[in-house]
Amino acid sequence: MSDETLLRVREVTTAFDTPQGRLTAVDGVSFDLAAHESLGVVGESGSGKTVLSRTIMGLQPRRGVAVTGSVRLNGAEVVGASEGAKRELWGRQVAMVFQDPMTSLNPVVKVGKQIDEVLRVRLGMNRAAARARAIELLEMVGIPAADSRYGAYPHSLSGGMRQRVVIAIALAGSPQLLLADEPTTGLDVTIQAQILNLLDEVQGRLGMSMILVTHDLGVVATRTSRLVVMYAGRVVETGTTRDVFARHRMPYTRALLESSPKVSNPSHTRLAAIPGRPPNLLDLPTGCAFAPRCAYATDRCRTERPVLEPADEPGHLFACFNPLPVRVGSPS
Amino acid sequence: MARYLARRLITLVGIVIIISIGAFYLIHLLPGDPATVILGTGDSPQNRARLYAQLGLNRPVIEQYFVWMKNILHGNLGTSFISQVPVWTTIRAALPIDLEMIVLSQILSFAVAVPLAMSSAKRPDSWLDRFLGAFSFTMLSIPAFILVVVLVLVVAIKWAVPHTGVSSYVPLSQDWVTNLESMALPSIVLAIGSVTVYYRVLRSDLIATLQQEYITLARSKGISQRRILWRHALRPSSVALLGTAGVNIGGLLAGGFIVQYLLDIPGLGYTLVNSIGLSDYLVVQGIVLVVSIGVIVINFVFDFLITLVDPRIARE
Repeated sequence: MSDETLLRVREVTTAFDTPQGRLTAVDGVSFDLAAHESLGVVGESGSGKTVLSRTIMGLQPRRGVAVTGSVRLNGAEVVGASEGAKRELWGRQVAMVFQDPMTSLNPVVKVGKQIDEVLRVRLGMNRAAARARAIELLEMVGIPAADSRYGAYPHSLSGGMRQRVVIAIALAGSPQLLLADEPTTGLDVTIQAQILNLLDEVQGRLGMSMILVTHDLGVVATRTSRLVVMYAGRVVETGTTRDVFARHRMPYTRALLESSPKVSNPSHTRLAAIPGRPPNLLDLPTGCAFAPRCAYATDRCRTERPVLEPADEPGHLFACFNPLPVRVGSPS
Repeated sequence: MARYLARRLITLVGIVIIISIGAFYLIHLLPGDPATVILGTGDSPQNRARLYAQLGLNRPVIEQYFVWMKNILHGNLGTSFISQVPVWTTIRAALPIDLEMIVLSQILSFAVAVPLAMSSAKRPDSWLDRFLGAFSFTMLSIPAFILVVVLVLVVAIKWAVPHTGVSSYVPLSQDWVTNLESMALPSIVLAIGSVTVYYRVLRSDLIATLQQEYITLARSKGISQRRILWRHALRPSSVALLGTAGVNIGGLLAGGFIVQYLLDIPGLGYTLVNSIGLSDYLVVQGIVLVVSIGVIVINFVFDFLITLVDPRIARE
């Protein structure tokens, strides 16, 4: 792993103006990402992870959104940058793999054309070169008969194939950073692993950095070196993937771990669900946002908000007044 | 695709037959009598009977219909009772005027409506969007015949642009400058109605399309907003627009009649109105038939265009 920092995220806050008031989806998030590194961002739906990935890219809607803090990609500030400046970054330096391949491809444009648009418009390739390269990319993402699929419309491809096309589009401009936002939610379980392995493989092969956003800790366990656990728009625990799995301190992280199904469990084991519901971002509790659902919560948790503090291991931070004891030799 | 086209073609033939029956009976229901027009009111009953027999009007109505249809299938629309000119000759002279009017008005409409809808959809609720919304609503509620009068007053009389206004029609092949001068006014009147409809339909579809995830993906490629609008948003947003255009153009044939009549442009509408007044049955029937076939063919063409624009539709 290189020490060179590719992405520096500092105190990023993203708020939306809604008819019900201001909704803070991401609240004071900071982390660094080195070149070639892969980072997992995990949390329940509504924890702000998708908004965070869009904010990192600067891809939020043009109006009704307020972003503060700093996101530096290769030294270039994304927050507050003009659309034109961000356009220079998009596709070439940072690209995104979207959540649902059923909706993220243009239904009336041939898939080959959607790939070679990046090549022609952004890289200035001519028609023939772009076509050849697009077919190469289709082959690289594992689409059989790539030559004939070039002219196919999205509706004639399966979900897994479509997501491979979305990945090919993201790879077309050889970005240094790939943001994968829940890249397998819309897919069959059998296809999910294939897509994740593909992402893993191209990340390594092309030497990109990757941020993998997911609600499923099982997905990030073997594919990322570091994790950021989010709850109600804030980072509640972060560290190396190994530390977060084996030596997590935040009760929410444990709850998340326990709620993901494991193959080693006997069949028909009841899944541990996290009690309660994710908080309403328009009406957050004063103290720790997780306190209402937490078995360890005290009065202090309900009145005062914990900040990230270091654990024993370097780079491992957690935000909790009543951290869990480290379970020695706990299975991950 | 071939099956889809074949199915549509069968429907088309059925509709044309129904319309031919309708057109035939309607004109016979109207008051008026060609014999009176030709002979005047004072002629003897014997002469009228002779004329009736000569025109074939003494036979049962159903038989008259079948004679008419038989002739049509042989490519013969008949000859005018009044002017003795073959009906097809009359139609062939008038039809290009209607076509020119429609083509000009549609080119104008799309050229104006598409960019306007885009600038509105880019920023819904902006001052421009609000203004266009209010303006289009106003225009939508003004009937064509009032617009014609206002435009004649302003363009032809106040600004004194030559060859606009009444009775200056010259065929396109003869003198295209004069032709365009005289066709500009009716085309603009028809275009104003179309622009407002197209603008409204396309605007709302574009706004919906621009919310789609594939637009965000297109944006994430780092391509310009202009390219996103034209290459990614317009096509998936134009299904309803094309459907509306197909129906609207059919309506323009009828709307064009009023404009033609007011401006003395000798198109099909003008001829039709005159022929009804003269009880010139075969001319009226011929024009109604040709216009209905035209409307059906236009709808057919636009339905086909829709399948080209959205490849998902042809499958269903």
